[in-house]
Amino acid sequence: MTDTESLEEYLAFIRHQDRETGSFLEIAVRPGAAGAAGATGDPAEHPAGESPEGSPPPPPRLPLPLAVKDNIAVRGYRLTCGSSMLENLVSPYTATAVERLERAGARVVGKTNLDEFGMGSATENTPLGRTVNPWNHDFVAGGSSGGSAAAVAQQLVPVALGSDTGGSIRQPAAFCGVYGLKPTYGTVSRYGLVAYASSLEVIGVLGADIGTVARTYRLMSGVDGMDHSSVDPPPDGGSPDPVRTVGVLRGDLGLTPEVARNYAETEQVLQARGYRIKPVELTTLEYVVPAYYTIATAEASANLARYNGVRYGYRPDYAENPEELVRKARSEAFGREVKLRILLGTYVLRSGFQDQYYTQAQKIRTLIRRELEQIYREVDVILMPVFPTQAFPRADAEGAPAFARLDEFQQKVADRFTCTANLAALPALTVPTGLARGLPLGMQLMGPAFSEERLFAVAEDLAREMPIQFPRSSISWPEWRAAGGGS
Amino acid sequence: MDSLELRTTADMAMLDLDDSGLAELEDAVSRVLEYFTTMAAIDVKNVEPTTHALITGNRTRRDQPASLALADDVLEQAADLEDRLISIPNVL
Amino acid sequence: MYRSFVGLEIHVQLLTQTKIFCGCRAGFGDEPNTNVCPVCMGYPGVLPTLNGEAIEMAYTVARALNCELTPECSFDRKNYFYPDLPKNYQISQYHAPLGRQGYLDLEFRKKKKRVRIHQIHLEEDAGKMIHAGDMSLLDYNRTGTPLLEIVTEPDLEIGEEAEALLQELRRIVRYLGVCDGNMEEGSLRCDANVSVNLEGAGLGSKVEIKNLNSSRFVRKALNFEIERQEEILERGGTVAQETRLWNENRDQSESMRTKESAHDYRYFPEPDLPHFHADAAFLRNVEERQVELPAERRARFQEEWKLSVPQTEFLCDEKETADCFELVLAEEPELDPEMVVTWLAGDVRKQLNRRGWSLTESPLTPPRLAQLLRLLAEGTIHGKIAKQTLELLFEGGRNSSLDPIEIIEEQGWKQIAHRSELEPFILSVIEQHEGAAEQVRQGESKPVGFLMGQVMKATEGRAEPAAAQALLQELLLGAPPAREPRPESRAGSEATAPRRSPRIPTIQVLSFGGAIAGHRREDGLVEPGDLVSLGELFRQDPDLPEQIVFEEIRLGRFLSEEITPADWSALLTRLASTLEERSVQGIVVAHGTDTLAYTAGLVYWFFADTSVPIVLTAGAVPTDEGERGESVANLRRAVQVAAGAEAGIHVVYGGEDFMPVNLRFERIAPSPEGETGSFRTWNPVGLRRRGAALAPTARSVTREVLTAVLESALRRTFVVRVFPGMPGETLIALMDAGIRYFILEIYDTGTANLRETPFSLRKALVRGRERGVSFFCTSQQEGVVDFSGYVTAHELWRNGAIPMGGLTTESAFTRLVAAQVEAALVGAGGSSDSGAGDRGYQSEEEFRERVLHLMT
Repeated sequence: MTDTESLEEYLAFIRHQDRETGSFLEIAVRPGAAGAAGATGDPAEHPAGESPEGSPPPPPRLPLPLAVKDNIAVRGYRLTCGSSMLENLVSPYTATAVERLERAGARVVGKTNLDEFGMGSATENTPLGRTVNPWNHDFVAGGSSGGSAAAVAQQLVPVALGSDTGGSIRQPAAFCGVYGLKPTYGTVSRYGLVAYASSLEVIGVLGADIGTVARTYRLMSGVDGMDHSSVDPPPDGGSPDPVRTVGVLRGDLGLTPEVARNYAETEQVLQARGYRIKPVELTTLEYVVPAYYTIATAEASANLARYNGVRYGYRPDYAENPEELVRKARSEAFGREVKLRILLGTYVLRSGFQDQYYTQAQKIRTLIRRELEQIYREVDVILMPVFPTQAFPRADAEGAPAFARLDEFQQKVADRFTCTANLAALPALTVPTGLARGLPLGMQLMGPAFSEERLFAVAEDLAREMPIQFPRSSISWPEWRAAGGGS
Repeated sequence: MDSLELRTTADMAMLDLDDSGLAELEDAVSRVLEYFTTMAAIDVKNVEPTTHALITGNRTRRDQPASLALADDVLEQAADLEDRLISIPNVL
Repeated sequence: MYRSFVGLEIHVQLLTQTKIFCGCRAGFGDEPNTNVCPVCMGYPGVLPTLNGEAIEMAYTVARALNCELTPECSFDRKNYFYPDLPKNYQISQYHAPLGRQGYLDLEFRKKKKRVRIHQIHLEEDAGKMIHAGDMSLLDYNRTGTPLLEIVTEPDLEIGEEAEALLQELRRIVRYLGVCDGNMEEGSLRCDANVSVNLEGAGLGSKVEIKNLNSSRFVRKALNFEIERQEEILERGGTVAQETRLWNENRDQSESMRTKESAHDYRYFPEPDLPHFHADAAFLRNVEERQVELPAERRARFQEEWKLSVPQTEFLCDEKETADCFELVLAEEPELDPEMVVTWLAGDVRKQLNRRGWSLTESPLTPPRLAQLLRLLAEGTIHGKIAKQTLELLFEGGRNSSLDPIEIIEEQGWKQIAHRSELEPFILSVIEQHEGAAEQVRQGESKPVGFLMGQVMKATEGRAEPAAAQALLQELLLGAPPAREPRPESRAGSEATAPRRSPRIPTIQVLSFGGAIAGHRREDGLVEPGDLVSLGELFRQDPDLPEQIVFEEIRLGRFLSEEITPADWSALLTRLASTLEERSVQGIVVAHGTDTLAYTAGLVYWFFADTSVPIVLTAGAVPTDEGERGESVANLRRAVQVAAGAEAGIHVVYGGEDFMPVNLRFERIAPSPEGETGSFRTWNPVGLRRRGAALAPTARSVTREVLTAVLESALRRTFVVRVFPGMPGETLIALMDAGIRYFILEIYDTGTANLRETPFSLRKALVRGRERGVSFFCTSQQEGVVDFSGYVTAHELWRNGAIPMGGLTTESAFTRLVAAQVEAALVGAGGSSDSGAGDRGYQSEEEFRERVLHLMT
C-alpha cells in the first residue's frame, strides 16, 4: 500500500465521520504541500488515531495527519477565515508553524471551521459551515477554534492547529473535552495566522494526547525570520524545576455548579498527587474582559481594513468608484459580529476617545502583568476554570434548555478566565477533567512565560487520574480500518 | 454612542449601515462601550501602557532580495486584471 | 504687512535593495506588479519585517540633519483607506519618531537662516493608482518602498526659499547615498503647509498643499498660495483650513474636498514590530556613514582651493564631481584648481550630458582626467587636442580601457615643442614665404603673426605656440636677448603653461572707439577716429619691452557713449577668436571712459577664464595730443600690463590697474597735474580678475548671432534708480513694454518704499512676480545689498527681489546681459543658426530660470 492510497482512505474516513460534526471546511491533501510525502520525523512515529486503549492492530505508518484552523495559511488550500469575504481565496503561501510541521513529516488533511476571523465563542459566527459539539449535537463546539476541537474530539485527527486570541483554543478544547495549548506569545510564529488582534494571539495546538500536543508544540515553536515578534523559548524551557505549588482562585467565580464542582475536584486530584495548593487572588480579573475587548477590537479594526475587495476576496457585483467598491465589499461580505467589533475598535482609537479606552486598556494590561508576576513568585502554575459554563446550546437547537443559553454579550463577559493569559502573553493549557450531563469539562493551567514544559508535566500527571474520553459517536482511524472503512 | 457618532465611526471603517442595522448595532455597540467604561474605575496613574508584551531587542532583516517569486500567484487572486494591473471601477 | 510661514514635509525614498517590510525588490521601472509578494500586497496572515539597511539610512539622515536621535524608536499604524495602500493602514512612526529637533542651515539670496527640522520618521510608501477611462489601475511595485519623511518647522517664507531648501536637502541625501533624489520619478516628494498672517500676529490658518512633485512646483505653488491667502486677508476674509492639490497643468492649486472623518488617522502602536534600540554599535555605523555635507564642502573648497562661489556650487552640487575634483588634484597637485573646475564644468559636463551618464558611470576616472590635464598643462598637447582626446575616451564607452596618453600616442597628437622637431617645419615656412620673412628681418612686426599661422597650419595645430614663435624669431633675427621670464603663476592654466623658451610678446591692440582714438577738430570738439599705430607711438619707448609685436585692429570708430550692441558683439567675438587662436600674449582694448565700467564688466563675464591678460584702457583726450596726454600714458601702461601681468581682465587707467568689476567712473577731485577724472572700485573685498566665465557658450557664435542675441537681451532689460515718490505704475508700464529684467538701484543695503501707496514699488513687485519679471537689486551707495537689515528690505526679499550683494549697477547690469545671452544660446543648443534667443526653451519661464541661475 502506498502512502497516497492510505491518505486517500484516511480522507474518506474524515469525510464520513465528519458528516454530522462539521469540523472541516475543506478536506484535502495537496500534493504540492511543502512537507514532502514520506518524510520521517518525530511526528511520523505517532500513528494516526492512536487511541488510549491501543488494542487494535497497528495501522499503516502514516505521516502525522494535521488539521489546520482555516485562519492559518497553507499554500494551495483556501484561507476563508470563515468569512464570505475570503470564501474563494487560495493561499499563495504557508504559515511558518505549518511549514515546520510539514517539514517534520506532518500532512495537512484539511482546514477546520471557525468563527469569522476568530471572532466568537461558539463557531456559530460563520456562514461557511456548521460545526456542532461531537458529544451532543445540540450544543456548540466552542470557539473560535471549534472546528479543530471537534475534529480532535471526534478522533478525526490526533492534533489540530488553532489560534488563541482570548481563549479560542482553550474554550473549545474544554467544551469538546480535549487538550488545548495556548503557548507563550511569540514562541510560535504568527506568520500565516490571519491577524485578528496581533498583540494578543498565537497559534496553538489541540490534541487528544498530551505527549503529541507537547511534541507538536516543540516542533513548531522558535524564533522566525518572518515574524519579528517571535521569540525563542529559553533553552532550559524557562523553568527547570518541577512544579510544586499550584495556585487556585477562591470565592464566587460565577461558575455553574458543574464547573465549580469540577474545579474543586481537579484541585483535590492535584493535591492528592502531591502538589501544594495555594489560594491566589486576581484583583484585576474584573477588568480583563473590557481591557481585552478594547485592545482586541482596536487592533482588529486595523487588521481587517485590508479586506476591501480590491486585490483579492469578495468583490461586489457593481460599483461606480473605488470608495463604493470598498464600502460595498466590506458591508456585504463581513458578518454582523465582525462589523460590531470593527466599529468598536474604530471608535476606541478615535482621537478624543483613545485615551479613555485604548490607552486605559493598555495600562490595565500592565497592571495585569505586574499582578501575575507577583503571583508567580509564590506559585508555579495557576489552576483556573476555562469558562464559567460547559458547552452551551447552539442558537438553532430547539430542544436545548433556555437557561443554559448565552447571548453574545454574556459570551464575551465569560471570557474572563481565558483572556488573562492573552493580555499577559502567558502560556495556558486546557486539560480534560471529566464529564457532567453528558458534556465534557475542562480546566486550564496557566504558567509564567515559557513554562510550557511545566504545564505539560502537570497535565500528564492529571491524565493518570482524569484520562481523556471520546464521545460514543466517534471512532478512531485504527478502529475504522479494522471495521473495514465504514462499510 | 449616539447614531451620529456611530455613523461617523462606520464611515471611518468604510462600512455602510442601513437604518435597521444601525439601530440594532447601536444597541449592541452601546452595551459593550458601557461595559468598557468600567475600566475608568481602576487607577492607572504612572502606569506605562503595554504595547508589546514579551518582545524585546532589535529585530531587523538583511537587505537582500528574497526569491519568493510569488507575484504571479498573488495576482491570480485579483478579480479583475488589465495586463498586470489590478483594475477597479472608477466612473468619473 | 503680511508674514508667511511655510513648512515642508519631504518624502525621501531610500535606496535600499529591498522594501522596508518584505524581501521584494525596491526600485523603479519594472513591469507592473512584479515586485510584489503576500506581505506588501497585504495578504491575510502576513507580517512586516524591518529592513536593517532602511533604519540605518534613516538614522544617518537624521544625524546629518542635526537631529536628536531617538534611543528607542517605534512604529505606529496610521489608518486610512485608499486603494493604493494594501493594508489600508500605513506603518509609520508617530509616538517615537527616530529623529527630532534637527536643523538645516540655509543661505538663500544672501539671507542666512536656520530651518528647524521638527521630526524625521520612517514609513512605507503606497502603490500607484492610474486612472484610465472608467476604471482605475493599480500597480503595487512601489508599495512598501522605504520612505523617510522629513518635517520642517514653518520657518520658510517664500516659494523660492522652499525650493532652495528642497534642493539642498536633495544634495544632502544624495551625498549620503541614501536617495537618488529624482523628483520626476518620485524618489523625492514634497507637501507643504502655508500660513499667512499679519506681521506680528503669529501663525494663521494652515493650508496643506499636496502634489508638489518638482522643485519648480514647490516654488510656484507656494507663491501662488501665499498670494491667495494674502488676497483673502486683504479683502477681510478668512482663510479656510484645508488641503489643496497643486494642478501643474493649470498652475494653480485646487481645494481637495475631504471628509472630516478622513483626518483622524487613529494612530496606535504597531504590534507586529518590536521597538528599535539605537545601540552603540548601530550608532557607530551611523557615524561612519556621515560624509562631509555640501555646505561644509562648499565652504572648504572656497577656503582651501580659493574658488569662487559659483565654482564651488558647481563642484559641490554632486558629490561625485567634488570627489573627482579632489582626486584629480591629489593625483596631480601641481594642476591649477581653476583649470580642473573649468574642464569639469565645461567639456566633461558636455560629454556626460550628451550621453546621459554620471561621472562615475563614465570612463573618465579621476586619474585619467588628472593625466589629461597634466599633459595639457605641461604642453604635451594643447586644448583642442585635449578636447578631442576626451571625446575619443568617451566614445570608447563606459568600460573604455584606453588612458588619455594612450589615445594621444595612438592618434599621434603630441604637441611639437622640441626644437629639433619644430625646426624643419619653421624652416620650410620661411622658405615658402620669403617675402614675409624678409619684412620681419627688416624690423616689421606684423608678418610674425602671419608666419606663425603658417607654422600652425603645417603642423596641423600641434606646434607649441610659444616655442614655435621663439624659434621662428630666433631663426629670423638671431638669438633672442636674455630677458626676465614672465612671472609664473600656477601651472596648468592654458595661458601660463610652462614656457620652454624665452619669447617676444605679441600684443594685440583692439581699437574700440573712444576719444583715445579720436581727433580734436578745429572747433575743439573731439570726434571719433582711427587708432594711431602703437608701433609708431612706442617705437623708441624705453619703458616697454623691446621688440614687442603689435597687431593693431580697428573695431569701431565711435565715441564711448555711442556704443551699440553690434559694437559689443564685434569686440566680444574678436576677443573670442583671438583667444581661441592662442596667437598673442596679451590684448589691449583701447576704449572710451564713459562706458568703460560697462564694457569691462561685460568682458569679465564673458572671458574671466582668459589665458592671457586682457587690458582695457581709456583716455578722455586723443592720443595725438602729445606724449604728455593721459591717453598715451594709459596706453603705455596697458601695453606693459598686457605684456607682463598675470592672465585676467585688467582695467588700466591713470597709473592704476583696476579690477574689471565694480568699477565706478567717478570724477574724483582733479589732481594737480590736471588729470580730468578717474575710477574707483566699490566693495573691493574678494574681487578677482580671473575666474570661471559666465558665458562660455556665447563665445562660440558668430558676430551676427551675438549681435541679435545681445539686442534682444537689451530690449528686455532696464536699469531703474529708485527715487522718493517713484510711481510703481511706471515700472508696470515698462513691463508692458517688454521689460522682463530690472536692475533696481535701491537705497543703502536694500531699502525701498514698499508701503501701500501708488508711489511705492510694492505693486510693481507683486505684478512683476505674477508676470515672471525679475528684479535684481543693487545699491545707490557703496555697500552690500543683503536684505537682512530692515523691514522694507525683508519685504523686498519676500516679494522675490534678488539682492546682488556687493555688485555695482554696471556690473550687475552687464552680468544680467551676459546671463541672458548665455541662457539664450545654451537654450538654442549653442548653435549659431539661431538668433532668436530663447527658442530652445519650452517656456519663457524655463529661460528665466536659467538666467536666474546664472545670476545667483
